[in-house]
Amino acid sequence: MHDTDTFTDSGGDLAVDIAGLTRVEGEGSLRLKVRAGVVEQAHLEIFEAPRYFERLVVGRTPDEVIDIVARICGICPVAYQMTAVHAFEHGLGITIDPAVRALRRLLYCGEWIESHALHVYLLHLPDFLGYASGLELAHDHRATVEAGLRLKKAGNQIVELIGGRAIHPVSVRVGGFSRSFRRSEIRALREPLTAALAIALETVDLVAGLDTPRFDRGGRLVALHHPAEYPMNEGRIVSTDGLDLAATDWRTEFSEQQVGWSNALQARDHAGRPYLLGPMARITLSGNQLHPTAAAAFAQTGLAAEIATNPYRSIVARAIELVHATAVALDIIEAYDPPADARQAWTPGPASAAWATEAPRGLIFHAYELDEQGLVTHAQIVPPTSQNQAAIEADLAAFAPSVLHLPRQEATLRIEQLIRSYDPCISCATHFLDLSVEHLR
Amino acid sequence: MTRVEVLACGAADRGDDGAALIAASLLIDELPADVQLRVVGQLDIDDLLELPPEASVVIVDAATGIRPGKVLSVSLDQVAGDQGGLRPRSSHALAFPEVLGLAGLIRGRPVEGRLVVIGGTDFTLGGPLSRPVAAAIPALVALVRTSVDAAWIARPSHVEV
Repeated sequence: MHDTDTFTDSGGDLAVDIAGLTRVEGEGSLRLKVRAGVVEQAHLEIFEAPRYFERLVVGRTPDEVIDIVARICGICPVAYQMTAVHAFEHGLGITIDPAVRALRRLLYCGEWIESHALHVYLLHLPDFLGYASGLELAHDHRATVEAGLRLKKAGNQIVELIGGRAIHPVSVRVGGFSRSFRRSEIRALREPLTAALAIALETVDLVAGLDTPRFDRGGRLVALHHPAEYPMNEGRIVSTDGLDLAATDWRTEFSEQQVGWSNALQARDHAGRPYLLGPMARITLSGNQLHPTAAAAFAQTGLAAEIATNPYRSIVARAIELVHATAVALDIIEAYDPPADARQAWTPGPASAAWATEAPRGLIFHAYELDEQGLVTHAQIVPPTSQNQAAIEADLAAFAPSVLHLPRQEATLRIEQLIRSYDPCISCATHFLDLSVEHLR
Repeated sequence: MTRVEVLACGAADRGDDGAALIAASLLIDELPADVQLRVVGQLDIDDLLELPPEASVVIVDAATGIRPGKVLSVSLDQVAGDQGGLRPRSSHALAFPEVLGLAGLIRGRPVEGRLVVIGGTDFTLGGPLSRPVAAAIPALVALVRTSVDAAWIARPSHVEV
């Protein structure tokens, strides 16, 4: 679907303005109200009609739900699948084979790689280097963009193999996968990923040296934390101010609320405070658990303190996670031993199922109720962007006064650049960005 | 040797977004041997980079912003040239002209061919084709067929049904 395509058809003439044929969904805008140089209101307005996925999964089996939630987003379908499948397995008391666990981590690494590579090279880097688009950047820095595309392709190859197809994967099932994977199939990923790791390391060098606007946001960071590894599919929900919850217990600290200016729900903690998820949060809270190759690259940047506070440095966090995901993927490939059974047998039945995983752009939470037949009676799906939206608005209100004296075009660019720093998943919540600044007297 | 590739975009389970896939399924048995059909779901740069160097492409997709059921064929050079004010509209997806432009730049030659779109109105997951789109499927198939022919030979800038 192409919600942002606009074909103006007037009489016999045809004007074509294609803004979104790459199948991204939703529309949004930023509205700032400024009085005497102070931002009184920063609203990320989301027009996209509610998509009712939580209603669509009611009456479905867990395996059907896993396929349906993958359709929520064309960029991060694995995140939805991983969160749902872990929720069901936890709720139903299913223990998966360690080799299946490893394959799922490999699949998630693929999504992290393709999502981060696209964002770093084609969406965020042009902002820093003064280009209006990835295409303009490619005209002057073709080798750089080609390297980014090779990196992205390596991620695509993982998702295509393990997930069954590159977009909206179909292989994940409760208890395992719909089929087993031979060692030779998995080993075939080694060559592109080895090349990708070299590119990822160069990416860290590239983005760590970028001239970056200064912005110290402060505020609460939230992510999963695992006792033994950098978080992905499992862990406890922790924060920079001491929160420590089971992955099933997101609702004891947070809730979603309707706001008047947005069709997307906004999540806050029960005290009404916003919080930020994503690579900045993960690296700040679990940086010491990065793969050794990524940890070395992270240390070399010397940017740990800035990554924790300045969203513009999230491009560095993403690059470090590119190294991490690629290196972890290679380790999984080297150690891969096929599971005895592709899929653990299980019995449908009643359960309360909830889980959280780490999508490329932050913690994602699902909760389901299953009836006696094992069919879903209630669902809650909380994507990262819904959780980050309030923090983005708060950050914009804090940051905007520092650029409002600039010419409008430059101010808009700085603000857009900041919003892109959070890599919001517009197809999970909204699209971008028409800036409206209202000066009140 | 493949001379033309038809890239069918969309998702079969999202109402009108499945229109291109239905059209492709109706065409598959009649396409000549040197025309290859691929279902790509969401068009990616890699889909265009995988084209044989000499091949043209016909990209078929659903779109909003035109009357539901209306079908249009536009040459890709016209689409790629539509870059005024080009900026990413989403934080993590590329606009169609940007996908075309990047692929052309990296290939070292423009991607040649046509974009065939059908106006859609209902993209609900699990929903059927809307009535106007279902009624226009024969016209979409005919326009894809015409566009495949056009991708081989001279390409008029605009064909409308």
